[in-house]
Order: sequence, then C-alpha cells, then structure tokens
Amino acid sequence: MNIVTDSKYMIPHQSPALERGPAWLREKRRASQTEFNELPLPRRGLHLWRYTDPSGFMAIPDSADETAPSENYKLVEKLELDHLKSGNLEALVTDFGGRDIKVSRSGDDVTKGLVISSLSEAANSHAELIEKHLYSLIGGSSGKFEAMNSALWNDGIFIYVPDNVEVKKPLHLLREAGVEGSIQYPRLLVVVGKNASLTIVDEYGGGSSDFRNGQSYSNAVVEIIAEQDSRLRYISLQRQASGMQSYLTHRAQAQAGASILTIPLVFGAAISKQNFGVLLDGKGADSKMYGLLFGTSRQHLDNHTLHHHRAGMTTSDIDFKVVLRDKAMSAYTGLIRIEEDAKTCEAYQENRNLLLSDSTRAQTVPELEILNEDVSCSHGATAGPIDPMQIFQLQSRGIHEADAVRMIVSGYVQSSLKLVPEDLRERISEFVAHRLEDI
Amino acid sequence: MSDSIQKQKESLAALNEDYESKYGFSDPVDYFHKGAKGINHEVVEMITKMKKEPRWMADIRHEALDIFLSKPMPAWGDIKLINEIDFDNIYYFMKPIENQQNSWDDVPDYIKKTFDRLGIPEAEKNFLGGVSAQYESEVVYHSMKEELKEQGVLFLDMDSALREHPDIVKKYFGTIIPMTDNKFAALNTAVWSGGSFIYVPPGVQVTVPLQAYFRINAENMGQFERTLIIADKGARIHYIEGCTAPTYSTDSLHSAVVEVLALEDSNIRYTTIQNWSRNIFNLVTKRANAHARSTVEWVDGNLGSRLTMKYPCIQLLGEGARGEILSVALAGTDQHLDAGAKVIHVAPNTSSRITSKSISKGNGRASYRGLAKVHKNATGAKLAVECDALLIGEEARSDTYPTIEVDAKNVAVEHEARVSKVAEEQLFYLTSRGLTEDDARLLIVNGFMEPFTKELPLEYAVELNRLIELEMEGSIG
Repeated sequence: MNIVTDSKYMIPHQSPALERGPAWLREKRRASQTEFNELPLPRRGLHLWRYTDPSGFMAIPDSADETAPSENYKLVEKLELDHLKSGNLEALVTDFGGRDIKVSRSGDDVTKGLVISSLSEAANSHAELIEKHLYSLIGGSSGKFEAMNSALWNDGIFIYVPDNVEVKKPLHLLREAGVEGSIQYPRLLVVVGKNASLTIVDEYGGGSSDFRNGQSYSNAVVEIIAEQDSRLRYISLQRQASGMQSYLTHRAQAQAGASILTIPLVFGAAISKQNFGVLLDGKGADSKMYGLLFGTSRQHLDNHTLHHHRAGMTTSDIDFKVVLRDKAMSAYTGLIRIEEDAKTCEAYQENRNLLLSDSTRAQTVPELEILNEDVSCSHGATAGPIDPMQIFQLQSRGIHEADAVRMIVSGYVQSSLKLVPEDLRERISEFVAHRLEDI
Repeated sequence: MSDSIQKQKESLAALNEDYESKYGFSDPVDYFHKGAKGINHEVVEMITKMKKEPRWMADIRHEALDIFLSKPMPAWGDIKLINEIDFDNIYYFMKPIENQQNSWDDVPDYIKKTFDRLGIPEAEKNFLGGVSAQYESEVVYHSMKEELKEQGVLFLDMDSALREHPDIVKKYFGTIIPMTDNKFAALNTAVWSGGSFIYVPPGVQVTVPLQAYFRINAENMGQFERTLIIADKGARIHYIEGCTAPTYSTDSLHSAVVEVLALEDSNIRYTTIQNWSRNIFNLVTKRANAHARSTVEWVDGNLGSRLTMKYPCIQLLGEGARGEILSVALAGTDQHLDAGAKVIHVAPNTSSRITSKSISKGNGRASYRGLAKVHKNATGAKLAVECDALLIGEEARSDTYPTIEVDAKNVAVEHEARVSKVAEEQLFYLTSRGLTEDDARLLIVNGFMEPFTKELPLEYAVELNRLIELEMEGSIG
C-alpha cells in the first residue's frame, strides 16, 4: 500500500470509501469530502497548531489496508478476553485498523438493552439513532483532519445504553493500529440514554515502531452524547508504538443533569495530538477531566482540552498532569469558555508539569473566555522539577535518590488514576514504573 | 503588494533627486495644512526632510515603511476591531503646536466632566483636551532640570536627541525592537515623531521620577512617539509616562514604540498610565533588555482607548537579572483592553513576576495575553504569573490567554488566574456596616486595584482613585 502525504492532496470523487453505507451516510461522506478538499492545512500561527506541524497528519491510503495484527495485539486481546471470562468486563470490543470490529460479550451476565455493535451494522439495525447522532458533534466542518476521518472512516464502534439502564461493569474497546505504512480512521459513537450509566475504557495501541523507516498513522474521532441525568466515565488510553503519528478528536455533550468524567491517559506514539472537549449543554451538567501524560525519549505530545459552558448552572473541573523525561515535549492548551447566557457557572483548571530531565520542553497555555459576570472561575499552571526538599526528606530516611524519584512520581500520578477501574490502574502504574526504571 | 512597494521605491528614487522641483513646494507645513492623509514614501520623505534628519534615519524610515506595507494585519486578538483601522484615513504627521488645536466645544462631554471631577487646572484641561498644544511647566521643573544636567543625565525629546546626540541614538535605535518585529513597530519606525530620550550615566541615581508628557514638554505626546531609555551600569531611573486624566485626540491611531536598556546592575522603572479617549486604537510595542543583575519594572495602567493591544516585554539577558510587570486594565462599555506581559528568561538565575489585574464593566472586555518563556540555558529561573479579573455587569467579558514555554529543567514556573464578580458576601458585610451598596462596591474595587495604585506617586494614585469612583458611579453589579 502506498501513502499519499501531499499537503495539497484532494480526496477524489471516485474514492471507494465514499461509497460505504446507506444513502444518507454517503451524502454525509460526500459533504465531508467537499469540506476536506476546500479546507487548507491549518496554519501554524493558529494557537492550536503552534506546537505541532499539521502536515505530519496528512496521510491518505491509496488502497485499503490489509496488514495483519501484531503479536502484541493478540497478547493484550487474550489478556482482556481473560478479564471478560473472569467476569470483570461487560464486553470486549476489538477494532483492528478501524476496519475489523469484533464484539465479545460475557456469556450469561449481559446487561439488558445495551447495544454494542459495529457502526456499519448499526447503520442498518439502528438507522434512526445513528442518523440522528453520527456527525452531530464532529463532522466535516470541524476541521481538516476531522473532515478527513468523516469522509474516509471504514468501520467504527457504536454503543447505546437505553434510558434508565445501569451498566455495572466496564466496556473495554481495544483498538489496534496496523504496522508500518498503515493508516486508520477509528470512529466511536456513544449514546447514553436518560438516567443511564456506563464506563468505557477506550484503548489505542499498536502501530509502527520504526519512526524513521515506516511510520503509521491514526486519525480517530469520538462522539459521545450523554442524555439527561446520565452518568458516563470515559477513559482514553493511548499507548501506541513509537513509530506512530496519532491524531484524535473527542467531543462529548452533557445534557441537563448529566455528569461526565473523562480520563485521557497519554503514553505512546512518536507524535500525538489529541483534542478532548465537553460541551455543557443543559442546566446542572457537570464535567470532570483528570488527564495524565508521560513523555519519554523524543516523544512529541500535544493535548488540548475544552470545557464549553453553553447552559447555566454547569460546573467543570480539569486536572491535567504531565511528566516529562529525556527529550520529550509536551504542549498543553486548555480553554474554558463560558457563554453570555450561561449564568452561575463554576469552572476550574489545573495543569502541572513535572520535568525530570534537562532537555525536556513543556508548554502550557490555559485559557479563559468568560462572557458573563455570574461565574466563579480559576486556573493554575506550574512547571518545574521535583522539589529537592522532597527528595532530601526521603533520602534522610535512607531511601536511594532514584527510588525517591520513583516514589514521588508514582504518588504524583495516582490522583489522576483514582477513578480508573482497578485492573487498568495497575497496568498504568506498571507503565509509569517501567518508564522510571533507568532514571 | 510587492508592485506597490516597487512603485513607491521608484517615486522615492525620484524624490531624492529633485524633490523640490518635482513636487513644486518647499514649505512642508503648507503641505500638511492641505490635509494629506494616508501613508507612502513621499510622506515619509516629507517627515524626515522637515525634521532635517540625517540620511541614515531617513533610510531606516523608508525601509520600515516597506516592511509595514508588506506585513499582513495580525490574525489574532480582536480581529474584527483591528481591521476597522483605515490606514488611508490617518494623518501620519502633523507639526505640533500649529495644528493640534481643537475647539473646546468639540471636546466630548464625558471628558470635560472627568476633568472637572479630577480638579484639573484650566491650562492642563486645555492641553489634555487638545485645545492648546503646550502647557508651560518649564518654571516648575527648571531647578530639577539643572540638577539632572549636573549629573550628566540626558533627558530630552527624541527629535532633539537625534540632533544633539546622534551617536547614542544611532547606536541603540531599533536594537531592542527591530522594525521587523511587528506591523505596528514597522509603522512607528517609518513615521515616528516625539517621544522621550533618556540616558543615565554609570552609577548615577536619579531620585525623583522623571515625568514625560505635558509636565515637561508637549512634543513628548504624539501619535507615533518613540522612546528610548538607557540606564548605564549601576544607574537608577524611574520614568513616568501619561497621566490619569483622559487625553482627547481626534486621531484614531496611536502606535508607540518604547525601547528600554538596563545595563549591568542598573535599575529602571517605567510607569505608564494610559487614558486615551474612547475613539483611539492604542497599539504599542514596549520591550526592555535587562543585563546582569539589573532590574526592570513595567507598571502599566490602561484605562482609556477603544482597543488597546499592549504587552510590555522584558528579556532577561544577564545572570541574576530581575523583571517585574504590573499590568492593570479597566475596560468600560465599548472598550476592549487586550493587555498583558511577556518575560523571556535567557540567562541563568533570573527571576520575574507578572501581576495582572483587570476589571470589565458594562459590555467591556478585558483580556490578559501573556508569554512566559524559559530558554534552555536559563537554569535556576523563577517565574510567577498571577491574573485576577473582576466582572461587573451582565455583559462584561474577561479572557485569559497565557502561554508558558519551559525548555529548562531546574526552574520554578507558576501561573494562576481567577475570574469572579464582586462577591455577595463582601457586599453584604460592608452594607451591614452602614455603607450604601455603591460605596461598598467602590471600596471593593479600590481594594482590588490597590496593588497597582500603591506603586504610583501620590498625585497619580489620588487621581486614579477619583477616576475609578467616576467609572463606578451608578454601575449596577
């Protein structure tokens, strides 16, 4: 398979990707194709692109991707299938290359009414729901790369929780990117009905591990609708291989009384750019985001968060933690916007950057746009090394310096992980420990 | 665009050959009486000819004009408002004294009212209203000027400095803010006129604040003023620009460039209080280079103008240099004050603090836009940013756009911002002690501004408090 990386590339009208799905979907794809072709590559001057070169994400396959899953994928899949069998999961959905979607559900203990399927099947079986919600938050007009996904996505995952249904166990989505030279456009649509509840672990892995000789690309879109009084916990884990160029856009809508907890965990890829946003659209909606990013070697990790208060009496809170070592670079930009008629809102935002090596680079741009007076709003950002006093304290108790650093960092990351399901928390703690082995 | 530049270059070449015979006039004042608006190389040549400037300055001006014409408008900030500037409808040079007189009747009522409330003397009123162009203050400041002279301090307007001390001006002009820095710095470089020039010799401590502007002489004030301040090794200086009373001008664009150089162990404080009338676009570039162990402080108050875009900058270039920026904005109805601060840590063990306070009132919009950058070699840098915003009124808007970039490890960087309205319980507490609600609110606002007012000389602080009182009158929280 060849990859086109020309920044002026246009999606041709005869592209087979545009012919997938029922008539209304083909129309949406065509509209997205037009938007894509008309939109220029984002300018570097725009603040969302100041730290990351957009041309790196311009990759389009000239034929379908047919590479096989990696060995590692099979290992994790087996691990998760074991979890499923031991009754820790509601379901395991495997998604290879944004193309092959496979749903495994726990045999006897299935939540009634819960729909988990591929988007292509759901487009027929749940046509009304899909037509109403797909593209409602992210479509062709959201941006160049969002348009790219919206036109070209192959297959995706659809999850629907009917009103008043409580899904007690987490749903695990395991997305695997293809190896060198592959491109995937994963897509996810989640609809949580009124007064329903759900936990999703959305794990992105795999991909090329050779950045120099054969990158692979991923451009993912996640749309989540949390209807009135629903509760959603969404954990996004990105642990892709070191040859990946990874792009992800997430938008969740919190309707009146809904509460959403979003946990972005960023560990992988060579170059990763993620954009997490929650739209607080109904009175009493609440959103919390507890992010954790750990960059090593020469990783380039760019994250944006948005809390958009569009209705009154809404609350939001962000705590985005960053750990960097070696020559890793993190750029965090976060926007809180409170609209003119969204009265009596509270919004908080915090970004801490822990720098473990001399050559790391940390950028932080926490932004506020407040359009009415009836608010309480604050943000804070810090960057610096571990407080030498903390290390000294531990050393004075006989702990070796490197161990002291490990202890302090693992304590620092725990606050982001306390609301993550237990088995996943253990895996994340292992990732962190692994990254501190040779400190 | 490049075509028009080419054309202007050609006309410029012609100008240099036979300027007088080609255009057939020799009295520049007459030319400007005719009301030539807009900007091109002829206007620039006119300015430099009339000021009898050396050729090198004329060359700088022409080069800067090319840069101004070729640079696009900023694509950030209040794009809608900034694109309302009609560059062709602006006078780029008017000889002071002759041309600046308005009729007192033309001065807007709100400005007259403010003068009365502040108790500004008649002569100053006329000056500030643009009715008379000069305010005689020579007598008051005569003895002070003598003293400065004895110490070897050079303090004069920029045009005179270019005539009397061309070597110093040539050495430093445009070294801190090059003409390529931004579109408006280029415009200023092309058409600058007036501004202050200060040079303080090594070790000299100037104990009284130097006040530019009408209190010294009229030429300091202008649309495109250019200020250059140099504190030599171990010197100390406090410079004050502007005043709290509103300044009325019919010109809609004010674009100044201020370059400040603090050499080793020196200490510079630059205080600005800007209160332009509400028809003015105020786009200012201010930057200071701080060398080893020096201290630079910007104290920057923004009250007036329709749109202000101003981000005083300190580049900490020498080990142990310190920078402090205190920025205040009070944005009333129909105002957008986009103010902020930049600190750039280049050398090790440098420290800086940015404090920003803003109040948005009515449908006013106050923005903090800042940059805090720590370069790779600036180990041991300490940097703290604090932004506080107060909102008064349903439609008030506040934005915070800080950018923090850290390329070194052993640094301590902190940023904090808060946005809120006047707290109900504070109001309740004060009203329960017999204050009216308006008085209570005023007291809270004055308290909020106090970190700024306490840094001002007494007369400015008193005026500022009165001005806030006036602004707050009848405001419904």
